[in-house]
Amino acid sequence: MDRDIADFTLNYAMGKKVDYAEVRAHRGEHQELVMKNGVLDAYVSMVDSGFCVRVLAEGGIGFASTNKWTKEEAKMIVDIAYKFAKMAKRKDKIAFAEEKSVKTDWRVPQKEKIEDVSPETRIETLMEVDKTLISRGINVAARMFGFGTSLTEKYFVNTEGSVISSYIPRIGFSGFITVVESGKPEQASKQFGYAGGWEALDQWKLTEQMTHEAKVLQRVIKEGKAVRPEKMDLVCGSEVTGIAAHESCGHPMEADRILGREMSQAGRSFIYPKGPFWLGTRIGNSIVTIVDDPTVKNSYGYYEYDDEGIKARRRYLYKNGVINEFLHNRETAAKLGTRSNGASRAVSYDREAIVRMANTFVQPGNMIEEEIFEDVKQGVYMKSFTEWNIDDKRFNQRYVGREAYWIEKGELKHPIARPVIETTTKIFWSAVDAVSKKVGYEAASCGKGDPMQGVPVYTGGPLIRLREVYVK
Amino acid sequence: MSETLAKTEEVVKKAKALGADEVIAKTTFGRYRQTRFSNNQIDISVAWNDYATDVVLAWKKRVVATLIRNFQNVDDSVKRLFKLAKVSKENPQYGGFAKGKFHYQKGKADKTLENLESPAEYVFEAIEAAKKEAGPATNTGGVLLTRLEDVYLVSSEGPKGEDRRSSIELSIRAFSQKDASGHGVECSSTIKEFDPARAGRKAGEIARLAKNPKAGVEGRYDVIFDPLLAGHLVDMWGSMTSAYNVMIQQSIFVNKLGQKVASDIVTLRDTPAPYSIGNRVLDDEGVPVKENVLISKGVLKTYLHNTSTAKIFKTETTGNAGIIMPSPWSLEMDAGNMKKDKMFREVKRGLYLTNTWYTRFQNYAAGDFSTIPRDGMFLIEKGEIKQSWKDIRLSDNALKMLNNIVGISKERQQVHWWGFDWGLPAVSPYVLMKDVHITRPK
Repeated sequence: MDRDIADFTLNYAMGKKVDYAEVRAHRGEHQELVMKNGVLDAYVSMVDSGFCVRVLAEGGIGFASTNKWTKEEAKMIVDIAYKFAKMAKRKDKIAFAEEKSVKTDWRVPQKEKIEDVSPETRIETLMEVDKTLISRGINVAARMFGFGTSLTEKYFVNTEGSVISSYIPRIGFSGFITVVESGKPEQASKQFGYAGGWEALDQWKLTEQMTHEAKVLQRVIKEGKAVRPEKMDLVCGSEVTGIAAHESCGHPMEADRILGREMSQAGRSFIYPKGPFWLGTRIGNSIVTIVDDPTVKNSYGYYEYDDEGIKARRRYLYKNGVINEFLHNRETAAKLGTRSNGASRAVSYDREAIVRMANTFVQPGNMIEEEIFEDVKQGVYMKSFTEWNIDDKRFNQRYVGREAYWIEKGELKHPIARPVIETTTKIFWSAVDAVSKKVGYEAASCGKGDPMQGVPVYTGGPLIRLREVYVK
Repeated sequence: MSETLAKTEEVVKKAKALGADEVIAKTTFGRYRQTRFSNNQIDISVAWNDYATDVVLAWKKRVVATLIRNFQNVDDSVKRLFKLAKVSKENPQYGGFAKGKFHYQKGKADKTLENLESPAEYVFEAIEAAKKEAGPATNTGGVLLTRLEDVYLVSSEGPKGEDRRSSIELSIRAFSQKDASGHGVECSSTIKEFDPARAGRKAGEIARLAKNPKAGVEGRYDVIFDPLLAGHLVDMWGSMTSAYNVMIQQSIFVNKLGQKVASDIVTLRDTPAPYSIGNRVLDDEGVPVKENVLISKGVLKTYLHNTSTAKIFKTETTGNAGIIMPSPWSLEMDAGNMKKDKMFREVKRGLYLTNTWYTRFQNYAAGDFSTIPRDGMFLIEKGEIKQSWKDIRLSDNALKMLNNIVGISKERQQVHWWGFDWGLPAVSPYVLMKDVHITRPK
């Protein structure tokens, strides 16, 4: 990364009639292993670097990027971005919320440096997962693993005087397995992610986790029963709680979506100006508080400053069951007369930073897990999910259980094969009557933006109990 | 030979000189321009210039890959890559890269797409067309994207060629009310065939019909899928023919070669033709691309292969490499014999669904999934649109649906937009399917 070129780019932009300009440079070292059915298909190792300029001029925004580190290229992208900004000819001019300039340098520490981990160790780690998985007497007919690390260095400067350097190591694993018993397949996918060093592996316990998933699938095939569709209690494990928090709280609370900027892609929100839901409207039971927090140490979505140079902090999205605070970048904050809360993220130098979640989770309650179950006469415990989706207003959603059990008189009984809850955001969060103390997290890649930007996030929460919801 | 092709060849020679058994280098110089709009105004215009060389080498069946930007540090990059190969693991399924000298069609890129004078004008044209259909209060959003790629590929195994690829796409969503919208797309490989107003009119027309929607009703219905939604399904079915997806069982077509997998009237192809926004002349091993019939009159004819997967399945490459994963380039469902209007008249009581998103599987191998219709969704009675619906989900089985296709229109359209989960363009007709399971939240 050539910081002088980045500084030159900003200075060149300041020579234009811009209201604001920023330059963001990235350099990433990536290593990715792809393994299919025990065979290492490929080992990919690459260094990627480039820079972009974003310009606000005459009320419009222009953006351009390149991976050629030359002054000629720098001038060229500024010229294009400036031209593009003026081309917008907007009636209502875009403005950015006022923020203080920042000069800082932040880094995520590693206990065991990823840089020191040899390719052989990485390969052996992955081979070990596969070897263990197929040695447990379960017919895991197909396995697909991706295992990667990234070391990302960023340099951000803007016309307001901010100068921010950062360094963030990340490590991720994704597994997709198919178990076949008596000719019947069941499938599971599982993702792990961490900001920090190789010590992540100690926490993940990949072999145990993937083996557990295989056993679960085998048991579902052999013993799983369908649930009789009716209203019943539903206990959601942290994985299900987390996806519901992400989909039906995090996404609809993104202010760009609320203002319509994503209307033709990821969609809008059931929350919109002068609509039935807005800040202060009740959306769930008062024991439900959902936050988005980039500052959870070592979380997959960790950052200290966002990609507009704004200090990260915890955001209380639904607070005590009430819509409380949207996720903002500087553009949306200005439109809604508030301040950015540091939710602007870009996945690469060649992508615009947009409003994103980081780590979205339900806050813990005061019950131990046994108490959550003991009061259930009949119901389903949906520990994890397989199929899931939600409409583009983020209101009509569905989660299908992967690991699930029948609950009778507070005790877990036989596995339930793919139970389904298909409900609305309001019904889901209003039905929650108990929240456990212990929060669990799952790593995920959250998709949004055009072109698609998959950003690392955590989803999570404690066990939650929903009363009298329709399960089929 | 062009300078870029020569530099690309130099990468291959350097890797070979170090001792690599086989090497492919592919340089792409991409120029992408995008204008995004919402609330009838332009939000941002974006330009990306990307100069990248993908390098993949094999040594003693160990396959490693890297990316070199702008021919910087070629020597170091190649040395590092070869060093990595030496400590990597053998891939017993590696079948080598394609061998031979090939003649390629000339890529027919439209160079005018590199720097359109006024891309905003295309956006405004689409917005105005939507407003004309759905009324002046119509709220629209969308994206205009142009793509121009110069591709230079050199393989140590013989293939050497260049490709010029271009496309222009406009996607527009129009809202006549908060809960009433329509979506239109316009996709072309050249500016000459590109008509942004057509997309705007379609979005506006559906948005107008979609006004005052009622909550949908669960049940099983005959459904007409608009080409945009049918394209999404074609995208899904076509991608599942990749041999890689078959091997990891992310496919409904596992062990089904030569078997009946669809209704007799279904023929599905992969056709990277010049008119497609997925146009190309060579694959990532340098094999000339060709049309592949995937499903012919309901029978699964082939999986899509690179050289390695072809050897596993004891067949030939289909020209669909992906070094690791073979992929379709541009899918098509053959036109049927039914006019669209007649198709609607055939439906006594059913649905017309125009778009969908967020398709997710419980089980790819079994085919169980759901997807969420968005934009106009309509109840049809006696061949006519009777009511606009909202808040429904299509919850069904991908294999069963292929077999339940009972009508295919003569009219077809090239479609693609952000919401295609498998990301490929498709030429698709209106499709009439029986017994489609519709659910809704309770």
